[in-house]
Amino acid sequence: MADRVGNRGYVTYALRRAAQAVVVILLAYVLTFVVISVLPGDPVTTTLRNPQSGFTEEQIARIVSYYGLDQPVLVQLWHSLSRFLTGDLGVSLRTNLPVSHLVAEVVPSTLVLAASALAIAVVLAFTIAFGVQYLPRPFGPALRAFPSLFLSVPTFLIGLLLIQLFSFQLGLFRVIDSDSGLATFFAALTLGIFVSAQIAEVLIANLDQEARQEYAGVARSRGLGQVQLLLRHLLKPSALPVVTVLALMVGEVLGGSVITEAIFGRAGVGSLVQRSVSTQDLPVLQAVVTLAAVVFVVVNLVADLVYPLLDPRVRLLAGQRRSTARPEPGVPEPGVAAR
Amino acid sequence: MTLSAVARTAPAPAGSRRARRRSARRIPPSVLLSVLVLIVVVAWSVAPGLFTSQDPVNGIPADLFRPPSAAHWFGTDQIGRDVFSRVVHGTASSVTSALVAVAIGLVVGGLIGLLSGFLGGIVDATLARFVDVLLAIPSFLMAVVVVSALGFETINAAIATGVSAVAVFARVMRSEVLKTRSAVFVEAALVLGGSRWHVLLRHVLPNASRSVLQLAVLQFGLSILTIASLAFLGYGDPPPASDWGLLVSIGKDYPLAPWLVWAPAFVTILTVLSLNRISRWLRKTA
Repeated sequence: MADRVGNRGYVTYALRRAAQAVVVILLAYVLTFVVISVLPGDPVTTTLRNPQSGFTEEQIARIVSYYGLDQPVLVQLWHSLSRFLTGDLGVSLRTNLPVSHLVAEVVPSTLVLAASALAIAVVLAFTIAFGVQYLPRPFGPALRAFPSLFLSVPTFLIGLLLIQLFSFQLGLFRVIDSDSGLATFFAALTLGIFVSAQIAEVLIANLDQEARQEYAGVARSRGLGQVQLLLRHLLKPSALPVVTVLALMVGEVLGGSVITEAIFGRAGVGSLVQRSVSTQDLPVLQAVVTLAAVVFVVVNLVADLVYPLLDPRVRLLAGQRRSTARPEPGVPEPGVAAR
Repeated sequence: MTLSAVARTAPAPAGSRRARRRSARRIPPSVLLSVLVLIVVVAWSVAPGLFTSQDPVNGIPADLFRPPSAAHWFGTDQIGRDVFSRVVHGTASSVTSALVAVAIGLVVGGLIGLLSGFLGGIVDATLARFVDVLLAIPSFLMAVVVVSALGFETINAAIATGVSAVAVFARVMRSEVLKTRSAVFVEAALVLGGSRWHVLLRHVLPNASRSVLQLAVLQFGLSILTIASLAFLGYGDPPPASDWGLLVSIGKDYPLAPWLVWAPAFVTILTVLSLNRISRWLRKTA
């Protein structure tokens, strides 16, 4: 479909977006560094000299010179950034292990959790949105309240409730056995509910709008049933924006993993963050936040690049993305994100 | 969150203006109820002493783990403190900190969006990149990093939450300003010789304020949730403070006294739900 979009425009657009993404990632690193070095006091040497961390004076001196802690902040930033560019994430202050090693250890678990959470969120959102449209009177409209309710319940509470109900009462899974399939499912459900509400809101609004369009009225007048109408006409234009929303939700899931993993006792990126915060392990914190930004930016870049290929109404003019279709309330601007 | 907030600020379909005006005059009962909830919550935070006479800090050792009753509406906790009193006394901290967060997001983000949209050009391009960077860092991670940089206190959690909301306010403000700027009446004001400042203050800001107000109400609810989550993780004031998130976090260790979790959770959900309802209504009637 790329040639319909116009190859040259698309390539220009893709290159521009990729360049922007690189800039954003680098600046995210700098911003994180700045925020972290605002830290009052000298937590680095406090952590290092803590007898529990078991560093010898020699090792401390090596780490201090490695991070350039005796130098001005700008010089430190420069060293840190150039190391980051060569893929060196530094050394953990708590364990004296390379940060990349620590992170790589926990990434798979969080990836599984995040991917399942997004999948559950999509299924839930579509179920709610279809229910709103097609369930008979008292039930359908009542479902409209669900996204709003889901957005009002703290994630930690959902987690506690699920554990209470399915682990303590029904004994379906054990929290200690946190990597079992069911435990992962409930953790993902905890994380996915908030996300599903956001997707459902967009989906419901889009379906409402599409159902009011003239073409839908014409199809109906020609005798097309509700289900046929949905599957053949309404679904595609309503569901496409979900791609963009889903990409934005990656940030939500990565942030939410801190809470979910704490509640379900999972070893993942989120619990690594929590441990690093309590032990002031700044290099780990810096690395995890930057990696989260990288994941977010890359996923959104891919979503933005794929979108024009999926939706021919979005044409690319002079390397910019512009929609030739009517403005759609449910389609956020590319790159607009969400908390 | 905010994705829905951004989606919501999109122009409503034309043609239903009369209907919208009518619905603006008649306030739906659910909105009235929400306002009532908020009035109670505000009253709790301003004058907790009026609503409960029991001590939120020192317990009565004879009254451990009493289930909810007429004497103790929300029961008592592990050292015999009245949970209702703890929730009421924790309101001020839970609600004001969310207010601080919204204020930070509103002022900083609003200013960025205003300058970005109104000045355009290189200012816009620079600020847009900055906002992109803020958006790229997952906001809860951002809040966690900021609060760990500032220290574990509720006020710092509020600042952290505010920082993580800056980008959203900037986005919405910018798009509102752009929308108004290209409106005919703004062009007319400029042609008639209105200065840029005059146009900004008299025309652009008032027109943008409705969407931003609706976003602010929504963010108020979200900030309550974020701050509760930070408190839950132990990044707020330590006990005997009784922030709602902290109450849930402590209460979860006593599964045989489920009211310790449900009472503060119920109040949190009801407050946020009310804020969401009002925000939704503001959007509809805008």
